[in-house]
Amino acid sequence: MSANTYDAIVIGSGISGGWAAKELTEKGLKTIMLERGRNIEHIKDYVNANKDPWEFPHRGGRTQQMIEDYPVLKRDYPLNETNLDYWASDKDSPYTEVKRFDWFRGYHVGGRSLMWGRQSYRWADVDFEANLKDGIGTDWPIRYKDIAPWYSYAEQFAGISGNKDHLAILPDGDFMPPMEMNVVEKDVSKRLMAFYKDQRAMVIGRTANITLPHNNRTNCQYRNKCWLGCPFGAYFSTQSATLPAAMATKNLTVRPWSIVTKILYDKDTKKAKGVEVLDAETNQTYEYFAKIIFVNASALNSAWILMNSATDIWPGGLGSSSGELGHNVMDHHLGVGASGTVEGYDDKYYFGRRANGIYIPRYRNLNGEKRDYIRGFGYQGGAGRENWSRDIAEMNIGGAFKDALTEPGTWSMGIGGFGETLPYHENKITLDKTKKDKWGLNILSFDVEVKDNERKMRIDMENDAKEMLEAAGVKNVHSFTSKGVLGRGIHEMGTARMGRDPKTSVLNEWNQVWDAKNVFVTDGAAMASAACQNPSLTYMALTARAANHAVEELKKNNI
Amino acid sequence: MNRRTVIKNLALVIGGAVLLPSCMSHDGTSYVQLKHVNIDEDQQRLIADVAETIIPKTNTPGAKDLNLPAFVLKMIDDCYDKKRQQAFVAGLKAFTSMVKTKYGKQFGDLDIKQREIILTGIEKSANAVKAAKPVKPDPITGFYWDVKRQTIFGYTTSQYFMTKQIVYELVPGRYIVHYPIKKLNLKSA
Repeated sequence: MSANTYDAIVIGSGISGGWAAKELTEKGLKTIMLERGRNIEHIKDYVNANKDPWEFPHRGGRTQQMIEDYPVLKRDYPLNETNLDYWASDKDSPYTEVKRFDWFRGYHVGGRSLMWGRQSYRWADVDFEANLKDGIGTDWPIRYKDIAPWYSYAEQFAGISGNKDHLAILPDGDFMPPMEMNVVEKDVSKRLMAFYKDQRAMVIGRTANITLPHNNRTNCQYRNKCWLGCPFGAYFSTQSATLPAAMATKNLTVRPWSIVTKILYDKDTKKAKGVEVLDAETNQTYEYFAKIIFVNASALNSAWILMNSATDIWPGGLGSSSGELGHNVMDHHLGVGASGTVEGYDDKYYFGRRANGIYIPRYRNLNGEKRDYIRGFGYQGGAGRENWSRDIAEMNIGGAFKDALTEPGTWSMGIGGFGETLPYHENKITLDKTKKDKWGLNILSFDVEVKDNERKMRIDMENDAKEMLEAAGVKNVHSFTSKGVLGRGIHEMGTARMGRDPKTSVLNEWNQVWDAKNVFVTDGAAMASAACQNPSLTYMALTARAANHAVEELKKNNI
Repeated sequence: MNRRTVIKNLALVIGGAVLLPSCMSHDGTSYVQLKHVNIDEDQQRLIADVAETIIPKTNTPGAKDLNLPAFVLKMIDDCYDKKRQQAFVAGLKAFTSMVKTKYGKQFGDLDIKQREIILTGIEKSANAVKAAKPVKPDPITGFYWDVKRQTIFGYTTSQYFMTKQIVYELVPGRYIVHYPIKKLNLKSA
């Protein structure tokens, strides 16, 4: 038993798992990080990162073979030739859809920290207070002041570039110098502020790309190829940031190909004593033991592990006593916005490929406004000149056309909304006892959809996008919308929510499972509401905060 | 264009030529073996001639020099679904017989002016139809758009174009918000 015994076990190696490993090892705990997929070594295994565009046989496109192999991933942009190896196989790991849910997964060391969008925003008190005020779900057991120092801590280590914009809805952080808006974005921003009398803002995105050298990482080189893995380590990932810090302590063991199938619960101590691991390559099972367990397998898989850890005492799984485990699935609903062309800047251009866009923070249902829905949405987008492969009027073929292709195209500007989804008890995942994956494990079944509040919000999201662009002088504005299928935001949340009461929540204010206090869940599963900001920075802060608490409790012999 | 540039371009063209398994046909043009769609030698030659009319050789390389016809075929072979591939081949056949009926010749045997008239004619009538009512393009127009789209995509993402016609850097190392437009392309730099 002793060979498989550690102080701490971390399940998962993505954004929050990497943070848990870093914090626990830096505090002196011998830790094993279990990752269900293969290892990806920083830089060396970013096999496409240094390829030129013409080196991809289909120039980055998708082949029919890929479409056949990835029946889920094909539903949206992630399926492409350039980083196919970073996405989990839909065929090896299927799931059941009572209602459509687009689940895009990364099963390897680093998880989706390698492919994430990197937008990093703090939440504000209005977000933490929302559930209480609206009488929805459970009240967050924390407020902005509880997490603010941890936001700073996370930002300082991860390296977030951003501008201090002094907006109540979007608290400023400890930023590296911001990237700059281009000339069109600057003018659109000014016109928006003027038109809406400073009630709406458009700011440069806050992104986890460093703009100055930081912790042996090179600053962003403006390649805008982040999703391939960055050879400069310029964006935050497990590989670029948390893993090297954890390895430097010599307290970390990483075990790839380790599918955690269940958490082993000891009914005498009312705590977990370890985990059972299925080796994904050999199909052998192992047990690992530790004093504390961090569950960071991503929101839906963390809930899967807990549900799969059923015992006589907890037949619905570990953490199921409230009846909320696996429920309240949230994401950000998107696929709605507007775009158009911008005139009058034909002599203006830019150089370099900025790995960032603009952000329009939430403005709806604030300061006393009441729409026919609650909560709100933000927009992300940007302006740029169209690429070389456009049509040129009056000159469609031939030598002159060929020459004209070297000139940049028209300026265009587009924005897309990210809307808050409410926590609905009936939006749930369950174990599908009738189907198994290639390892013989029961798969998840999804019953999740947007409802009236989101649908009403989407009408505003579309109309406001068009109105704002037109108010800012953008021409030929076309709005777009879609059904709002969840999962597409790749911001899964809510399946093991935090709360103040064990009767209505799975986790307490320190991310501890009410039913087993030495088990901590600090990924998206912990979220009691979704807000409309990208959530990863909040996972980082919650994880660091929970790890600090875990070690304090361990020292006091409380867990 | 000076001699050094010509030599460099030539090296790029040769370097970029090894794209696909191909064999030489009787007239010396390369013939691409496709996996999913049947497009015979004559049809491949037609596609190459259409691509060359869209991106002709001038004082810089044209579609054939840059092996773009092989790229067009690869994209259609690998990335189009069965239905679209069938529509493409149907459009290709309709295009061939339309040219034959009107001019009594193969497209490749026409002079450049006639070829241009045919292609711009397709664009004009397609635009007129589109303006009247958005409909699915007829087979010939569909075939032509597919060749054009892939030819331009292949051209503007080719090593030649991205290194010799515009400024592309794999590692820009900087983001400059105001960049003089005249510095953009090498010919006017």
